[in-house]
Amino acid sequence: MKKDNMLRIKGLHAQVEDRAILNGLDLKVSSGEVHAIMGPNGSGKSTLAQILAGRKNYEVTGGTIEFCGKDLLSLSTEERAREGLFLAFQYPVEIPGVNNAYLLKAALNAQRAANDEPQVDAFEFTKLIKGKMELMQMSSDFLNRSVNEGFSGGEKKRNEILQMLMLEPRLAVLDETDSGLDIDALKVVASGINSLRDSKRAIILITHYKRLLELVVPDHVHVLSEGRIVKSGDRELARTLDKQGYDWVREEAANL
Amino acid sequence: MTPETLHSVFEASLNQLEVSDPSRTLRSEAMASFNKLGYPTKKHENWRYTDLKPIVKAKLDPTPKSLTTDQIKQSNRLLETSLLDADAPRLVLVDGVPLSNAQTLSDIQGLTILGHKQTWQRIGELQSMELFQRHPLAALNTAFASSGILIKLSENTNVEQPLHLVFISTQTTNKATQPRILIDIGAGSKLTIVQHFIGEDSVANWTNLVTQITQSRESQLTIYRFQEYGNEQFHTELLDAKIAQDAKLKLGYVDLGGKLVRNDVQVNLAEPGAACEIFGVFLATQGQHVDNHTRIDHTAPQTTSREAFRGIIGEHGRGVFNGKVIVHRGAHGADAQQSSDNLLLSEHAEIDTKPELEIYTDDVKCAHGATVGELDAEQLFYIRSRGVDEDTAKGLLTFAFANDVLRRIEVPEVRERVASCVAGQLPDYENWGGLL
Repeated sequence: MKKDNMLRIKGLHAQVEDRAILNGLDLKVSSGEVHAIMGPNGSGKSTLAQILAGRKNYEVTGGTIEFCGKDLLSLSTEERAREGLFLAFQYPVEIPGVNNAYLLKAALNAQRAANDEPQVDAFEFTKLIKGKMELMQMSSDFLNRSVNEGFSGGEKKRNEILQMLMLEPRLAVLDETDSGLDIDALKVVASGINSLRDSKRAIILITHYKRLLELVVPDHVHVLSEGRIVKSGDRELARTLDKQGYDWVREEAANL
Repeated sequence: MTPETLHSVFEASLNQLEVSDPSRTLRSEAMASFNKLGYPTKKHENWRYTDLKPIVKAKLDPTPKSLTTDQIKQSNRLLETSLLDADAPRLVLVDGVPLSNAQTLSDIQGLTILGHKQTWQRIGELQSMELFQRHPLAALNTAFASSGILIKLSENTNVEQPLHLVFISTQTTNKATQPRILIDIGAGSKLTIVQHFIGEDSVANWTNLVTQITQSRESQLTIYRFQEYGNEQFHTELLDAKIAQDAKLKLGYVDLGGKLVRNDVQVNLAEPGAACEIFGVFLATQGQHVDNHTRIDHTAPQTTSREAFRGIIGEHGRGVFNGKVIVHRGAHGADAQQSSDNLLLSEHAEIDTKPELEIYTDDVKCAHGATVGELDAEQLFYIRSRGVDEDTAKGLLTFAFANDVLRRIEVPEVRERVASCVAGQLPDYENWGGLL
């Protein structure tokens, strides 16, 4: 399939409070692809995810990000989402007093309004979400609970994936969605991710572990170290990293 | 309404009472108390942030009168549109006077509603003098209360259906009304009361309510009090409760309307195991002033109090919260938690919040916290990252701030109505209200 470079990151530099975190990051992602980004703690993985979603705590000091032909950095957080970018948070925030149903409906209808599509009513909404909740093994009372409030770690992650399935993004960035999951929850999350996988969409999996990558098999694996991608390969790279750690990649990069 | 006006009206109305009327002596004593104390002023520590001058200056008629056909007509119109639950049993007070044909009290086993004579006897038994001396507005209420209502629940009775008390403020010559409610809950009994205050937008009356509660052992009383007057109304009230062993009082205060609102709550956890939970939500904007003043006395061991108030203050609004908790000598094992959280929606918004803890015994658990702030940036980012625009996200979060506390209302019809009324008063409701 022809590469469309839906996401094109060139020479991205970013800092937080004068501390440089990304130092010239390059990445191209095309429709239909699944990319995994691995790397040691503090290498800049989550910073990349947050910058893609438009978090203002990080200052972009250089480089460009193009998403579906648009300058991503010039768009607001909500505009990015409506363009089809979705971030599954590493630590989804609790919002006591806002029902899951309110948030999902608001999100879905905002996206539909942006695409000149009709708004969903309560009936349609229920119809849409029912099967997706079954896939994520979430019980029906969940919609009337507050967003993430009192959820276990696993429930929070499944909720992120449920939101993703409702919004059907063109590009999903999953920030350590696998961390803190037991093996059963991991399987549920993986089947949710796989159900979204098709030739029109792309997925970026940010992870420490290969176990998710055994269930959602990536086309490309990248190693992020000190704010740059220092090595790229296929799924075998994830297995090697799992066995040998990151030191050899860093050494290799230093010798370049 | 100056103290002089009050005095002369009082003398005249006292002369109208029958010589045998049980209220005469109490009224006179109460008026004497008020004459001595006068209106509370900002010099009193408890009134530092709330100035009653607008009430003193307002032209108000304090004379108790029977209802006119116009008042009844206005009330019926409001009742048609505003009831929280049209099917619930209810008592209706119009400008302080019972509207008997709007009552829908069928026989509830064990529940009696008593009138003038018994109410005043009970006020006498409760030795309310101490109350007057501490609280001049309670004295004023006692002097002028046109008719009291005593709600009495016998022992070991569980009333499932909430009893609604609807207070209607009508558009007439501006009035000062002094409703008096007494609630006695027998041992082991359970009751929920909904107090609902309504009036047309432009009504500028003053309601000065006193509610006196006595709970016997192991009883449970819940009161949800929802005030949605128009924004010109004056409202002051005192709720005074005495809670016996292992009994529990739950109070929910929601204030949306009113120009000047002052709610005083005094709860005495008088015997071991007594507990109270007080929560509140108030909105103040465009010249509204809302003051919640609570005092909880832990006088016995193993008593528990939980208190959570949330204020949303908009442009030119002013909120006040003062929460005093006193753990008396000997009240070991007392457990008190209090929080006051406030959201300022404008730089022209003001909140004065003051938690006060006085502890005179060891071995207690007490915590209090107060916050004044803006919306949570993490939550805002999360909602926006789902494609929701910033104003809608802010609307949802402002509503959530209130709704998080409103969830404690356990009667679904009331909770939903109150939540949607609160939502309707928040900024940009038209943009996000459809989501609820």
